[in-house]
Amino acid sequence: MVSLVMISKGFSQESSSFYGSFESNGIYYQDNENEKYNEQFASNNYLNLNYIFNSDWSFEAQVESYSPLRLQGYSDSFEKTHLSTLNINYTKKGFGLTFGSIYEQFGSGLILRTWEDRQLGINNSIWGLRSTYENDNISLKLVGGFQKKGSQISVGKVIGLDSEITVFSSDQIYQNLTVGLSYVGRFENLAVPAIYPPVGYDFNDLTNLFSARIDYEKNDFYIGYEQIHKTKDGIAQFGLILNDFVKKGSAHTMNFGIAKSGFGFDFTFRRLENMGFFSDRFEQGELFGETTINYLPALTKQHDYSLTNINIYESQPYVSFPDPSLMKAGEIGFQVDLYYKIKKDSFVGGKHGANLSLNLSSWYNLDGDYSYNPLNYNTDFLGFGQKYFSEQSIELRKKWSEKFSNIFLLVNKYYNKRYVQEKIGEINSQVIVVDNTIKLENKKSLRFELQHLFNKDDEKNWYGYGVEYNFNFNFSTYFNNMVNYQNIDDDKPNYYSFGASYTKNSSRFSLSYGKQRGGLLCYGGICRYVPEFKGLSFSINTSF
Amino acid sequence: MYRKILFSSVVFLFIFSVNAQENIPNMTLKTISGKSIESSEFLNSQGFSIISFWATWCIPCINELDAINELYDSWNENYSIKVLAISTDDARSKKRVRPMISGKNWAFDVYLDTNQNFKRSLNISGIPHTIIAYGSKIIHRRIGYSPGEEKDLLKIISNYKQK
Repeated sequence: MVSLVMISKGFSQESSSFYGSFESNGIYYQDNENEKYNEQFASNNYLNLNYIFNSDWSFEAQVESYSPLRLQGYSDSFEKTHLSTLNINYTKKGFGLTFGSIYEQFGSGLILRTWEDRQLGINNSIWGLRSTYENDNISLKLVGGFQKKGSQISVGKVIGLDSEITVFSSDQIYQNLTVGLSYVGRFENLAVPAIYPPVGYDFNDLTNLFSARIDYEKNDFYIGYEQIHKTKDGIAQFGLILNDFVKKGSAHTMNFGIAKSGFGFDFTFRRLENMGFFSDRFEQGELFGETTINYLPALTKQHDYSLTNINIYESQPYVSFPDPSLMKAGEIGFQVDLYYKIKKDSFVGGKHGANLSLNLSSWYNLDGDYSYNPLNYNTDFLGFGQKYFSEQSIELRKKWSEKFSNIFLLVNKYYNKRYVQEKIGEINSQVIVVDNTIKLENKKSLRFELQHLFNKDDEKNWYGYGVEYNFNFNFSTYFNNMVNYQNIDDDKPNYYSFGASYTKNSSRFSLSYGKQRGGLLCYGGICRYVPEFKGLSFSINTSF
Repeated sequence: MYRKILFSSVVFLFIFSVNAQENIPNMTLKTISGKSIESSEFLNSQGFSIISFWATWCIPCINELDAINELYDSWNENYSIKVLAISTDDARSKKRVRPMISGKNWAFDVYLDTNQNFKRSLNISGIPHTIIAYGSKIIHRRIGYSPGEEKDLLKIISNYKQK
């Protein structure tokens, strides 16, 4: 330890720097249904250290500790104390070389994305080698290695190549055209099933994904398209890969928009068919899906209020045939966003102006012919099948005076629980939110929000409210509560939380107590199931 | 138990002994039109930069940037301060960045950090996270946003100038 400190001091010179961060999240669980967690303390801890030497070389190491238990809802593969990230980087004049844990994304990530999200329990970095070259017009990346799975290494090997070329670019008339080509291969040698007579798999150990993309913009207008083809591969169903259910996959995404002063519009269409791609094929459909190679988020609006986060849509890129009445091969749909700045001194804008935003999204199963026995499907390219999800939302941000502002949000949502969660029912709901902020004297401020969810189906109506008081820019307290007051199965379940946080520069400490609703926890369109819990929580975050 | 004590001791010794990250690392990001740009190219080389990490779905981040936008013209004119909003939106929401900044008429520069490599290189775990830099030297960083906190950023810059 003394040596480490001496090293850290010794290395903090002009041409080098040594820095890092520490994060700790802990919960003392009470009245927990899981015996292992009942009246138990659990915590997830992350120490990240970086050293940059001579501006060309950098080193990164991250140690994680799940002690005495990992937090509830994380994969069993996160265990004890282990080194989770270690890499050495060299960069010089556009050339880069990395050995160790690699975090990378090709294009929009549809073909490859490795990243870390601690709240979701995702760290799918590749342990291997990366070489990059970049100048004003060309970017080339080559990646290869083994994928991380918790504290272990996954069974498959991954190799990828990405290129992006700026065909022309002009600042004078503001015009830009870029094209990109990518390849990702996954090699996984599956053991032949122990059946008689012996039958080998009718697909290659190596599965290939090829991607082509193009983006064009001129002045206020932009448009882009990306297409991906996946070679035929076995599909895991009920923990088995069958020789007679082997399919190709594909992805198409098209986007265009207009961005002018005070006005923005964006339209995105996406079609995904059998696009599950894991370094371990059997991870498809599993709860955590830790060895995913590509990134297929739900293209819907990400909400920040508790009642708008009930019945969240998860993207449906996989083939799933749980029973003859429920057969899915992917998803097709679109999303529209519109932003408009309402001018000052207008009827709605008033003295300070206002901001209006609209979001629409609709997602469907792929239409086509489906067969359960034998397992098979043939889809139509532009066929919209059973609706999975749709949402329309409108948000108005209005500043009434220097001291008072608020946000109005209305959401109308359709959620097909049968198709998305593979349970029973369809849900139509509406949510209304009013979020108010009052600036007080001497750095103090008060924020209070009111929410209501109207729902004739499923768990019926909810209401929610929250109050946050900032004593100054460092110290804050809050209380929030949500009540499912029309629930007929349980006795009006309510979920509450109160706590305080203290922030000083790049450090934050928070303490809270409450009961959290179980369900899907989603960030960036990827979701993790978290069980309901009650207890005392703390969090420490610091960068140094 | 021995390992736990050892681990905790190492953590705290590091936190209280190592020097803070002193400089903004040079990383490649994208402009909103998709062109690559080095972080050293967009920093205010002879003055102050306020670097705000945000995302289209983060309400306090947008509150902070809306508030900064109202002050930006005066900051830029009187103090030559450059505001750089680094969007950490990934593939799910990055298409929303360009129409949103146009719809809000934000006057400052916005760059995309879609795989969050820049955020990672600065050891940022949550947003909003705001950094003040003089050239590439980090002089202040903070987590979170409370209403009115944007005015505090100017005070920190003024105090640094007087040193």
